[in-house]
Amino acid sequence: MKIKNRGLWITLFTVPCMLLFALVYAAPIVTVFYTSLCNYTVFSPPEFAGLKNFVTIFGDEDFLKSIGNTLLWVLLQSTFHVTLGLVMALILRRKPKGWKIVRTAYMIPNIIPTAATGVMFTLLLNPSFGVVKPLWEKLGSDMGQVPNLFGNSRYAFWTVTFTWILYSGFNTIIFLAEMGAVDQEIYEAARVDGAKSWQVDRYITLPLMKNIFGTCVTLASVAMVSQFDIIYMTTKGGPGTSTLNLPIYLYKAATLENNYGKANAVGVVQIITGISLVLLIQRLFMTKAGEEDGR
Amino acid sequence: MKKKTVSRFLGLALSGLMVLGVTACGSSAGSQEAAADQSGGAAEEVQQGTEDSSGDKIVLDVINYHVGTDYAAEYYTYLFDAFQQTEEGKNVEFHFEEIPTTDAFNQKIKLLISSGDLPDIVFNGGNNITELAAKSGKVADLTPYFEADPEWRALFDDTSLEFNTVDGKIYGVPVSKEISYIYYNKELFAQAGIEAPEVAYADWDEFFEACDKLKAAGITPVGMDTADSGWLTNLWMSALIGTNGDAGNQWMNSMYPTDFNTPEVTAAAETIQRMFQEYTTADAVGGKYDPMATHFFNGEVAMFPNGPWMIPDFSETEKAPEGFYDKVGIMLLPGNGMEMVPTPGDMVGAMEEEKIKAAVAFLKFETLPENQIKALEMTGLQPVSNDLEIPSALTESDPLMAQVLEIQNQAKVTYGQNQAYWYQNTIDTFSTELPELAYGNITPEEFCEKLSESAKKNQ
Amino acid sequence: MKKTPQGVVYAAKAAKYVFLIFFTLIAVGPILWAAMSSFKTYAEINSSALSLPSSFKPDNYRAAFQYAPIARYFCNSVIIVGSSVLVTVALVAMCAYIISRFRFRLKTLIVLLISASLMLPAQAISQPLFAMFQKLHIFDTKPGLIIVYSAMGIPMSFFVMVSYYKTISTALEESAYIDGASFLQTFFYIILPLAKPGLVTIALLQFINTWNEFYFALMLTSGDSARTVPIALNYYMGTFANNYSALFAAVVMTVLPTIILFIVLQKQVVESLTAGAVKG
Repeated sequence: MKIKNRGLWITLFTVPCMLLFALVYAAPIVTVFYTSLCNYTVFSPPEFAGLKNFVTIFGDEDFLKSIGNTLLWVLLQSTFHVTLGLVMALILRRKPKGWKIVRTAYMIPNIIPTAATGVMFTLLLNPSFGVVKPLWEKLGSDMGQVPNLFGNSRYAFWTVTFTWILYSGFNTIIFLAEMGAVDQEIYEAARVDGAKSWQVDRYITLPLMKNIFGTCVTLASVAMVSQFDIIYMTTKGGPGTSTLNLPIYLYKAATLENNYGKANAVGVVQIITGISLVLLIQRLFMTKAGEEDGR
Repeated sequence: MKKKTVSRFLGLALSGLMVLGVTACGSSAGSQEAAADQSGGAAEEVQQGTEDSSGDKIVLDVINYHVGTDYAAEYYTYLFDAFQQTEEGKNVEFHFEEIPTTDAFNQKIKLLISSGDLPDIVFNGGNNITELAAKSGKVADLTPYFEADPEWRALFDDTSLEFNTVDGKIYGVPVSKEISYIYYNKELFAQAGIEAPEVAYADWDEFFEACDKLKAAGITPVGMDTADSGWLTNLWMSALIGTNGDAGNQWMNSMYPTDFNTPEVTAAAETIQRMFQEYTTADAVGGKYDPMATHFFNGEVAMFPNGPWMIPDFSETEKAPEGFYDKVGIMLLPGNGMEMVPTPGDMVGAMEEEKIKAAVAFLKFETLPENQIKALEMTGLQPVSNDLEIPSALTESDPLMAQVLEIQNQAKVTYGQNQAYWYQNTIDTFSTELPELAYGNITPEEFCEKLSESAKKNQ
Repeated sequence: MKKTPQGVVYAAKAAKYVFLIFFTLIAVGPILWAAMSSFKTYAEINSSALSLPSSFKPDNYRAAFQYAPIARYFCNSVIIVGSSVLVTVALVAMCAYIISRFRFRLKTLIVLLISASLMLPAQAISQPLFAMFQKLHIFDTKPGLIIVYSAMGIPMSFFVMVSYYKTISTALEESAYIDGASFLQTFFYIILPLAKPGLVTIALLQFINTWNEFYFALMLTSGDSARTVPIALNYYMGTFANNYSALFAAVVMTVLPTIILFIVLQKQVVESLTAGAVKG
């Protein structure tokens, strides 16, 4: 493309964003990477110590477990939840009765402060007086103890995973926005040709969703790599290490062990994990610049 | 056309937000002021006060976590006001920052410790803050002030001051003592046909015999939990260790233990495992304090370990059924044991001589015998000073509190509890590994090993 | 084409609605439950999760106002989050466009830096920010938090927007330039309208990510002038003195107006997007 004053426009359009970004992030990025190589605690300033912190964390079983949990959650979230959101969007796209209410409703869980959501889940899933007990008793009296969903390490991981279903509606909203941008004439033409509704979805809508699907997967993965609130409010990474992930491990290193150097080493791992995932997903889903996207 | 939609979008979004913000804020201002009045110490009012007359006034920064639904919120509102009526306090203005919950408070204090911006008066939210602050060198050494005022010094016993001493220097002024014992439900005991002991069960065997009888009568014997820090379970476990001979008692009275694989700790873990499996509610594992307390209030659990700050709840109809207060009895732990720890004291973060003096004056005021009694009356906080004269009015208005004051003199052994003595990450390990222990996924030995490992991370 | 049996069609339709209703319930459930719980007493909340409250007195709502400056914090939230959404959307809309279309020196550096910050732990950022904010005198101010939140939103929004711009064919711009349009004209008249779904997405994303932000709101403020809703909720959670009833009352009072605001905005914004097809 030939544009007058190309350099000027590039500068004018990128500089404000980068300035704001640098203001907040420049110092921390340097600090995190540097202090991850230091002995550094709440009460003592950083002192260079080489790779010591990394040796410590990679020698810690709990840390390896937290990486495992994080990646498993990334996988679950970016497949199951994103697909769920997509299916919902495909249904809502046809604007069935009440679809506007539904769409707005999906926003609600995202506005409720996590502290309250956490309290709600612990009360709802309480084995003595929550929703599980009546359901369980209906299944039969010989079923044994009511499952303690947050308290038993056998269920805790899946229980926490389940709580995120609340937020899968968010993907629906993103998909809907993208579907709204699809040229209606394509659908008209398909209808004229007598295509069934599932065929329209399968051969027209879905291929056009490839990019935004990639975006949703990216968002979900990044959210999972830095997921903290709900876990902290419900299980704090327990029982044992069954729901321990990278951010919770990092939090514990920083706040409970007062070891900032170690925490920042975990932070570096977290950053690298996140970037790798983003790059991987981009490679899998994203159309290259300027390429026609199949319309 | 298209440009219009975009600008309309942005414009609408902006104006919508602003309009909503402005109108909501305007209309809420009234109720806001009312709220501030009710909570007593509106930060801003005070701030304005300083600007008007900052000439000769000493301004002290305080971060207060006794706000909102905190059990001592009312008391501290009173205390700050009362101090400003005194000779030393009339030239002092407080500049408050409110941080609800000790969890949030501690996070911020740690940030301020490492950045060197501690407030002039540093309330102590526990969590080893005293040591961190002292090691960072950003709080004042209060030893000279204690030396200069022997009368003040005499208010504290050695244990309380030692607890606030780091490397031979006193940094914190303890304002209360923490004790805990067992509350029991007289009605449930009668139902099970057992009589509660006058002071305490002679030993744990007797205690568990009673538990068996309660259980046989269809009553859940004890309240336990694991979430947050596993407070109730911690009290049981500390008692099991602390009443287990000299070795156990000594262990449970030592700061920052790193070896949990002792016979006493392992035995206690074993008992705790059994208690989870046989003597407590289904929701104890993974449970938080509030539902567990409610089990006790509702008469679903016969025995509940806790301290005096719980007494006001017994007569609060929001929480407990009418008349519950009269059903509650108090006993010490088996073998006349009682948890008793000095509290981590408030510190002085001011750097200038003048401010340090004013801050110390406030701490002296806070520990005046009359204010210790006031705190006892308003919050159940136990006086840090021994042998204070308790007004007889209290014994009449609050017989349970009177019994607490009485029964603590009968304790033969006292010991600490993990929140006061253990490393913070070890308390967390305790809380997250308890469910594993309860479900038998790990053995008591493995449980203790995990605690040891976690404690050693601090070295 | 084979004709699908009538039964299957109905079954599919039924399944569709069951699915729809189930997930709507999941989405609405929490706020309904919170509303119900906001009328319960402490004892009721902590001994039964599903029972109805014994009375519908507004006591807990009064308590919610009494314990925390909830109305004020709500206004702060609206102003801070609202502004940060606007700032982020505006800045990212421009920057991401350049990155998606042009090759230039420093481009890789920009992308790398932004990626790195994506996962930067809050704990690590708070220290340097705290010091800097005091120096710049924006500690404990709304602009301070707006700056942080806007910057926090940049990385994620940036990725979404770059990938969105890449789906827009460059043929349009090329023909615009051939017709003699300037860079700004092309951007505002051709690109932005096409990018609306992307802009809406990042606006939503930014809103959601900042509305419940707790850590910076706590660390970078010290008074009532810039504190937000998540902090207010902490006022109901004292040690041994939780007041969940007031907590849920506060949740209801802060969530409802937000939803209304949302519906109003959505009507204007999303509607215009979903209704009109974008003609390529």
